[in-house]
Amino acid sequence: MFKKEEMPRSQGSLSRNAAEPDSAPESRSDTSGSREGAIIGRSIHITGDLLGEEDLRIEGDVSGTIQLKNNSLTIGKEGKIKADIYAKAITVDGLTEGDIYGAERVTIRKNARVLGNITAPRVSLEDGARFKGSIEMDPQAVEAALGKPQTAAKPMPAPGMGTAPLASKPAVVSNVKS
Amino acid sequence: MLEPLGAATARAELDVPATLHAPLFRSCIESIDESRRIVVLDLGAAQTRTIELFGGFRCRMEIVDIADSVEALNAEREPAALGSLVESLLPKAGGEPLDLVLCWDLLNYFARPALTAVMAGIAKRTRRGALAHGLIVYLESRMPARPGCYVPLEDYRLVNLNRGARGDRAAPRYSPEDLKRCMPDFSIERGRLLANGMQEFLFRR
Repeated sequence: MFKKEEMPRSQGSLSRNAAEPDSAPESRSDTSGSREGAIIGRSIHITGDLLGEEDLRIEGDVSGTIQLKNNSLTIGKEGKIKADIYAKAITVDGLTEGDIYGAERVTIRKNARVLGNITAPRVSLEDGARFKGSIEMDPQAVEAALGKPQTAAKPMPAPGMGTAPLASKPAVVSNVKS
Repeated sequence: MLEPLGAATARAELDVPATLHAPLFRSCIESIDESRRIVVLDLGAAQTRTIELFGGFRCRMEIVDIADSVEALNAEREPAALGSLVESLLPKAGGEPLDLVLCWDLLNYFARPALTAVMAGIAKRTRRGALAHGLIVYLESRMPARPGCYVPLEDYRLVNLNRGARGDRAAPRYSPEDLKRCMPDFSIERGRLLANGMQEFLFRR
């Protein structure tokens, strides 16, 4: 639907701003013991495929693909993503361009700007968010797409398609003034 | 200090979103077969309540948020360039055909060439028998400068969240004949004059 820039696929190529070494990806645990996950700081630029098995928050720039199939991904307010995203739960508060696949849910916050297609069993969008693209909410199509996320960019048409699902009624024009 | 009743009423009108009984929108939603998959094109901006409403169906929503491109479409006089612009704004042609198109009040904001081009582009993407719903300014000669931001309530009434927006402009007051000329691929299935002076239309491909 939307033109995408050619995305390099060099896995793991990571460029970082040497002036801000503290912004490197890191894994955190707070003192209460609850797991917060990793953070990609706002000075970090990643080009390539990003895979992980822990929750992740992105405040930097990522181009390529992001796969956290069993974990949550948050695109923070400073995050700028040009990538197809696969994760269990996805929250977007920044900018994304690419298709988004959420195995459980996708949440688009009010500050988000999203260009691409969303496939998830539950999608919520806060008023104020800007979105252009499609939202796949048909459970059968979502299941088909998320079963094979790498190859199912286009959800499978549901069985029985081909005729209009909107009931055809006799043409009646009432109260029309010309 | 008490303020004049008129001023209070005027401010209340700006503060409180207007709800609109739109029986054809309601009948359109009620006619959806819940067991069947539908593809919906929303010409307006993505709205929580609209997504929630269609999330209750086996639905794919295409959201194009075309309001920001209205002026560019109206300014383009060259038919080929206008067609190209329309193609760039709508979902890719050749995909899953559309069953329902939500136009809200956007049709009022297109000049005739742009309206013709947009609806021709939509017609190429719709299934035969598909419906399009629109609200046309009819009684009033002026309309808000910017398109409304309509969202459905649970009882299928519509709320314009942009009510009270500043400025206004001349309304084209498209008649059914105008619409037939600009939208030759669609026929008027039903039309209804609403309490706010708009005409609600259901078009069928």
